[in-house]
Amino acid sequence: MKVQYLIPFVEAAYEVLKAEVNIPMQRGDLSLDKGAYLTDDMTVIISLVGDIEGIVFFGFSNEAALSIASSMLGESLMEMNGLAQSGIAELGNVITGRASVKLSKSGFQSTISPPTMLMGKGATISTLDFPRVVVPLTSNIGKISIHLALREATRQGANAALLKVPAAPGIKQT
Amino acid sequence: MANVKFMNPFVEAAAEVLEKEVSVTTERGALSLQKSSMTSDEITVLLSLVGQVQGVVLYGLSRATGIKLVSKMLGQEFTDFDNLAQSGVAELGNVITGRATVKLSKEGFSSEISPPTLIQGEGITISTLDFPRVVVPLKTELGEITVHLALRETPPGSDSGRNFVPVSIQLK
Repeated sequence: MKVQYLIPFVEAAYEVLKAEVNIPMQRGDLSLDKGAYLTDDMTVIISLVGDIEGIVFFGFSNEAALSIASSMLGESLMEMNGLAQSGIAELGNVITGRASVKLSKSGFQSTISPPTMLMGKGATISTLDFPRVVVPLTSNIGKISIHLALREATRQGANAALLKVPAAPGIKQT
Repeated sequence: MANVKFMNPFVEAAAEVLEKEVSVTTERGALSLQKSSMTSDEITVLLSLVGQVQGVVLYGLSRATGIKLVSKMLGQEFTDFDNLAQSGVAELGNVITGRATVKLSKEGFSSEISPPTLIQGEGITISTLDFPRVVVPLKTELGEITVHLALRETPPGSDSGRNFVPVSIQLK
């Protein structure tokens, strides 16, 4: 995955977290992961469709999610209720939206999907044949990680449906 | 609102794709409209729709059904739900959804689909918060696939996805 897709997300995350919750974040070392992701306490999943396609997800520890939601809503929350969940989903939405605006300025138009929330540790999310770049962000409120499984689109819109199921690797076609 | 008119294209597409890829006939079970969370299956394939229709489509199935489907699809026996099998099941969701969007676009709702994401975990619950979703069980001789549609017509002039969380998935 090219770095040019990655930077907009890191920048957007930094800007949004600073503006919305006023929390400074340090970026940890990037890594490339091909296996499935074992989820943290809370995960926001957003897809991109367009010139750049793929999946972005944000993993939050419970403490991080609670502090962010509390700070966004301006009240101290003790548990991740519906409102807090929707706040965290909105945060993922705003970061991804902002990143897609940055991407479009570099010539890649894409649209983002509504966010999906996954609550609870230990589910596995597989992005299949998309390698996934992991961007860990650390702050004094807890861990946040951004996972980017993106690529330049190889198919366009409705034509996707006309694709046949591809020959799986390692299977002989007779 | 989750709209039932978006449902038929998915049911038709699923039946056609399952017939072609794994040669099974599909029977539609009783529809329901759900708001509350429900226990989902072991494997969930998630795809998003973006365009004049927006939201999320989920395909839930058991691991056993997943293995049977890919075994038939790829013409080799799988015993384990490995990467290849995961990719096969995800692709099945992809092809069904893609075909459904072609049908939807013929009815005047054009939309694009995201690549599939596969979620696995014991005792996952899926909820759509206060957004009602249409749940369609599809019965085949290889097992049951549950299709969850949390879709709505995109309000004119709205930012894609803003303040709209169609699905929340919860682990026990």
